[in-house]
Amino acid sequence: MTSIGADLVRQMAAGDREAFGVFYDRYAPVVFPLILRIVRERADASDVLQEVFWEAWRDAPAYDAARGSAEAWMVTRARTRAIDRIRSTRRRSETFVAPLDEGLAAGPRESAPDAAERAADRGTVMSALDRLPDAQREVIELAYYAGLTQTEIAERLKQPLGTVKTRIRLALERLREVVKTSS
Amino acid sequence: MNHEPYDTLAATYAVGALDGQERVDFERHLAEGCDVCEATLRESAEAFAALARSRPPMIPPPAVKEALVRRLAATAPVRRGEARPRRRVWAVGTAAAVIAVAAFTSTWVASRYEARLGEMAREWSAARTELEGQLSLLRKQVDVYANAADLLRDPQAQVVALRGLGPSPEATGRVVWHPTRGGYVFVASLPAAPKGMAYEMWTIGEGAPQPAGLFQVGTSGEAVHRIDPVKDGKPVKVFAVTLETEAGVAAPQGPMVLASAK
Repeated sequence: MTSIGADLVRQMAAGDREAFGVFYDRYAPVVFPLILRIVRERADASDVLQEVFWEAWRDAPAYDAARGSAEAWMVTRARTRAIDRIRSTRRRSETFVAPLDEGLAAGPRESAPDAAERAADRGTVMSALDRLPDAQREVIELAYYAGLTQTEIAERLKQPLGTVKTRIRLALERLREVVKTSS
Repeated sequence: MNHEPYDTLAATYAVGALDGQERVDFERHLAEGCDVCEATLRESAEAFAALARSRPPMIPPPAVKEALVRRLAATAPVRRGEARPRRRVWAVGTAAAVIAVAAFTSTWVASRYEARLGEMAREWSAARTELEGQLSLLRKQVDVYANAADLLRDPQAQVVALRGLGPSPEATGRVVWHPTRGGYVFVASLPAAPKGMAYEMWTIGEGAPQPAGLFQVGTSGEAVHRIDPVKDGKPVKVFAVTLETEAGVAAPQGPMVLASAK
């Protein structure tokens, strides 16, 4: 899909520092808001962003374009590192309990007209998450953006584990469907 | 075989929420090779990438890129006269320049000195391999230092001094330690282990000493060794290093060469 990204990673693997600069300028503005959304603090987000790109430079030789776009490679990496960061913070303060409302509201959820406007601007993916039934969107928020495991989500929502799993599966099926049909 | 249970596991895995035994089982299923699950994971990653792309882009603080450029400059060969690179990096830069000149010259003389060409190519390739080896070593070192520095920023991190004992009283060491993230031991003035032997790191808490990996000391007498976190984050009271056989042992047998104060 984005073969420019894959080319840049190949050049990075060959030690091309300029390619790394271009790669950074291209993907940092995409992954930074994601990291910030997960870790909340700008200083932490900057740290994580640096680590993520440093690892990308180091791991560039292992990138395989057949297994996914460079963008997905970076987004997955950014999400994982950001979640690592909040999990270690959580472990440190043993009593940490993220309030559910804050957890959901802290992301860049905008008012309804705003969301609609942007969805119109940027295609259908944005509205795909918003258009999920609340129960499905909630499990994606808790798992993907808050880093909770299925067991933790079940406890938090006081729902059977099976219900949580089913919601996750259905939500993801819809998201994948939208991306497939829009690309 | 019915694949449906795996569809649910793959979805939960894709959002990073699979835990416990199910995670172990699913990772085994993946390792055995499953095109259906791999496609699910790939499509999910692309879906989340599309979701990230659909958000308004945000320019990160310029300091991040600046820091990356600095780290890059410290690991890759640099041109002579650029900044004030550390000695070994400078040496690599010089070697790179020498090789670049040699490569240029070799092209120019190729037509006249056909017979020498094969030999030069072999020499050049050997030099390059050597240089690449040095470079990867430097990259690893910088990674270690960056990780240790990152660890030190954590308020829970502590630095523990190690003192030389018995056979190596002049040896010194420092452990940078974090209770959940593990740490690094830096040693100096420790003689290289005799042939067939290695140094073994130990973490000692309530129970028996736990092995924390083997390491060798170079001719400089220095070494850096990564220490994995102790299981369940149990507190470590003493760090120690013993001299053991190359293969390592499960409980210390050889002489203790370095230890922290109790």
